[in-house]
Amino acid sequence: MTDVTHTTTAETYTIPVGPLHVALEEPMYFKIDVRGETIANVDINAGHVHRGIEYLTTKRTIYQNVILTERICSLCSNSHPETFAMAAEQIAGLEVPERALYLRVIAGEIKRIASNLFNIAILAHLVGYETLFMHVMEVREVAQDIKESVFGNRMDLGAVCIGGVRYDLDDETTAYLSGALDKLVPEIDEIIATYRTNGSILGRTRGIGILKREDALACGVVGPVARASGIDYDVRMVAPYAAYDRLPMVVHTLTDGDVWSRAMIRLAEARTAIELIRACLRDLPGGPTHLHDRPDIPRGQAVAKCEAPRGELIYYLKTNDNPEPERVKWRVPTFMNWDALRYMLADQKIADIAIIVNSIDPCVSCTER
Amino acid sequence: MNFLTLLARNLWNGPSTEAFPFGPAVTPKRFRGKIAFDAPSCEGCKICERVCPAGAIRFTKTADGLGFSCWHDTCVFCGNCEFYCPTKSVHQTTDWHLSHTQAEKYSMVESGLIPNQVCVECGATALDTAPSVAAVKPPMSAEEVADLRGRCPKCRAKFLKARRAKS
Repeated sequence: MTDVTHTTTAETYTIPVGPLHVALEEPMYFKIDVRGETIANVDINAGHVHRGIEYLTTKRTIYQNVILTERICSLCSNSHPETFAMAAEQIAGLEVPERALYLRVIAGEIKRIASNLFNIAILAHLVGYETLFMHVMEVREVAQDIKESVFGNRMDLGAVCIGGVRYDLDDETTAYLSGALDKLVPEIDEIIATYRTNGSILGRTRGIGILKREDALACGVVGPVARASGIDYDVRMVAPYAAYDRLPMVVHTLTDGDVWSRAMIRLAEARTAIELIRACLRDLPGGPTHLHDRPDIPRGQAVAKCEAPRGELIYYLKTNDNPEPERVKWRVPTFMNWDALRYMLADQKIADIAIIVNSIDPCVSCTER
Repeated sequence: MNFLTLLARNLWNGPSTEAFPFGPAVTPKRFRGKIAFDAPSCEGCKICERVCPAGAIRFTKTADGLGFSCWHDTCVFCGNCEFYCPTKSVHQTTDWHLSHTQAEKYSMVESGLIPNQVCVECGATALDTAPSVAAVKPPMSAEEVADLRGRCPKCRAKFLKARRAKS
């Protein structure tokens, strides 16, 4: 951290970026060799916020772990318990009620809107366009209000339980939800138009931090980062879970692989998320929202995956005869995406580091748990 | 985006932030806030203690009965207790006011007591919990429930067995 320059030749310098506050307030440390203003080599150092949650899950019962996994990360806080519950349901062979599957999609897509808009807002902030930053954050506040009014909390929805969902929509909340979505649509459309045309945004994001398709494949990137590099991969499409196979799902891809493309993919997905929620509200079947009592999870192991706002999230769960799981392991999208930063940062300018790092929407708390 | 229009709109609408603490803060009806415990409706099944991921809820056996405590300093406000509670005697209020002085740090606790009672039938000392009657068929009347409540677990089982035999 303190070795500001370890090789002070006339041509190259090594500068530290991080570990605090690279783009978001999450610790990530880059040791960057620069030649003039250009990045020559990147060394990524991780592990500053390891909290031992994987170990902790083996000390909590499966029913407590639904809540614990929700608190791994705030922005993907619905994807973690959902995938964990899917793994447990797979072991126990539980059939989740149809209504619960639709309600799970609604919860997941609301989180996606808020998460993607947050990243888009931070991009405006890093570009130095504070007015746009404040505006996008204000639009995101509509999504935050939905979460608070429908689920009772601004970040941790507590929507998922093993065997279904914990919340239900009545006439009042449905009316509120569709009203809020109607408010979001024109705002997001306008934000998309701004990001498409605004000179400040385009100047700082077009052609910056390019990740070529072959490099993207080599790094195994997922989520909007992969889709912006032309890889047509979305768990909701290739391995539909919840009710996604019955919904008008669209996968957005772009081919340039630059910071701007990743931002546009996120905006397009926020827009699609609204259509998915509307379709869910339209087709929402009746019936129970969860199985009764607490189903017993027998000995076994399972793998489940879902599409978190940042990409594919995989859970491995192994249970034994105890109420606590024997092993829980998860692979988060940021793990692969931050490896691709080496390619994105190569030959870029120092001033663009924060913008490029933010463009993978890194979630360090998920990755280091 | 036309920022002049946006500016005009923002001037017209005023600040988006809430005036709290000088004005009220909007709190939705479904907000998951502090825990409240209603001892008379509790069945004493202790499921809330088992599903609480933070270990905030504790039951303690005392000379007077069964004590309930929920430490709001430890609580993560997930609502698992309310979700799994069969009678909703543990429930979340919309109260989110948690700021307190250092002196009050050990009093941010919701507590309750399920008292002991003397069984009307056998005279044994047992907890005055609400009887678990949701699954009893045919459904019990309020008088029957009150009658059942005055008994100890063993006599309650006997009562229900006799009732099943009658119907």
